[in-house]
Amino acid sequence: MIGHDDRVLAGATGAGIGLRTPHIAEFLATRPAVAFLEVHAENYMGGGPALAALERLRCEYPFSLHGVGLSLGGSDPLDARHLARLTSLVARLEPVFVSEHLAWSAVDGAYFNHLLPLPYDEESLDTMCSRVARAQEALGRRILVENPARYLRFRHSPIPEPAFLGELARRTGCGVLLDVNNVYVSCRNFEEDSHAYLDGLSADAVGEIHLAGHSTNDADGRTILIDDHGSRVAGPVWKLYAHALERCGPVPTLVEWDTNLPDLAVLLDEAATAQHYLDALRSRAGDAVAA
Amino acid sequence: MPSLRELESSFGRALLGEAQDALLDLIAADGLAPAARLRVYRNHVLVTLTDALKATYPVVCRLVDERFFRYAADRYIPAHPPAVPCLFEYGESFAEFLRAFGPCQHLEYLPDVARLEWAINRALHADDAPALDAARLVEVPADRIGGVTLALHPSVSFLSSPWPVDRIWRANQPDADPDATVSLDAGGAQIEVRRLGEDVVFRSLDAASYALRSALARGGSLEHAAEAAQRADPGVDLALTLQQLVADGIVTSIAAPSPATHEAGPW
Repeated sequence: MIGHDDRVLAGATGAGIGLRTPHIAEFLATRPAVAFLEVHAENYMGGGPALAALERLRCEYPFSLHGVGLSLGGSDPLDARHLARLTSLVARLEPVFVSEHLAWSAVDGAYFNHLLPLPYDEESLDTMCSRVARAQEALGRRILVENPARYLRFRHSPIPEPAFLGELARRTGCGVLLDVNNVYVSCRNFEEDSHAYLDGLSADAVGEIHLAGHSTNDADGRTILIDDHGSRVAGPVWKLYAHALERCGPVPTLVEWDTNLPDLAVLLDEAATAQHYLDALRSRAGDAVAA
Repeated sequence: MPSLRELESSFGRALLGEAQDALLDLIAADGLAPAARLRVYRNHVLVTLTDALKATYPVVCRLVDERFFRYAADRYIPAHPPAVPCLFEYGESFAEFLRAFGPCQHLEYLPDVARLEWAINRALHADDAPALDAARLVEVPADRIGGVTLALHPSVSFLSSPWPVDRIWRANQPDADPDATVSLDAGGAQIEVRRLGEDVVFRSLDAASYALRSALARGGSLEHAAEAAQRADPGVDLALTLQQLVADGIVTSIAAPSPATHEAGPW
């Protein structure tokens, strides 16, 4: 959090939005009030207009850098060029958060641009721990690791995901980026209890929350939820979010939208809803202190 | 239980369309066939990588129509998956793939349109670099000037085609006149693509400028590039051609002739 004044730090405690390229011009023109902005690191690893726009916005908004390509759960060697590019982007933008995923995305030199599932066992835990540690060392800061949406699980996967994340955080000092929509999607896909998932998390480790929409799909007659970031946050996910805030406190919350991108106003409206939840929690906490 | 490496390697091959029966045995069914669960991931990979190709090659997509583009992408992606994590760097070999792809071989100009779109994509995302102060060139002693090499801005690239790919590209922009036509007999193009401010621009160059600039871009010395320009147009005004190059602001650095040092001046 080096290099940010108090205003910027204070701002990162509210609700923000994922900033996507088609919204940048309007965002620059209107400068709406949101607590923070998050971008995908991989979209800004070149030069040109994309990076120039971020340079203009970073003085006014706290930034969060969300990586999707480091393949922390991968068994190919950690991509040194990619880590170097991420390091230099972090140095340039001085984000309040840097995050990646509990997943892998490359093997045998091929990158799949997807967050692929790991078996949750000791070998995966060791792999994740050593790569998170290397990333944090290179970046010179703590990262947050996000729970992915999952559509399959391996037979041999003895560690529950929340416990896996907790142990990863304990061993490496990383934080957790809790994607509440992903919790909902994964738990529905495996008929698990999403509230129990949240209760199994190390609440202290959660440094940021993600919210997004998902789609409901039919696969061979069975319903599969897919985390497509293509609609408003679903009702049950807002309920789960409220539960997450009870558990973790008023954690900075980000609304993501990637497919079927709506008008910026819709995204801002979703962030305003998240802000209401945060404010309500704070005012209840204030009442409790007053009582 | 295989190692993580073996599991991921098998999963990766499955994503690229290879049958991986042993992998299916490792996946819990949870009420749905493991193969169907794996398909959710494979579909996502194909859809997002196809979208990435479409974003880079919108004119190719328009020329062949969306359905054919998806068909071509379905063949291209498993054979050429991304080798890097940044999607804007994905798809450089798509032009060569199209050149060899049977179902569109009658569209002879298509691979060169793809090359132009790749050059545009590359220019858009290239690293930033300040232009060289023209005074630095004047500092080079006359007897050494022929040996220097000039680095061009990372966004700059050159493309030569026997087809009027620049006109084809312009006629297929969203704001183009829908009734406009391009004659394939209109002649070829020698094009320079670059970023200018925050926009990507391209234009046709005369034969001498194209020869000079593309020789420099390949790392040739100024002398070598000047010879290429003269071969392309024996009547070329070399001083003027060089002046235009510097005035365009695309030269970013100058390197000393001595291969032993590889250092720029002082001279």
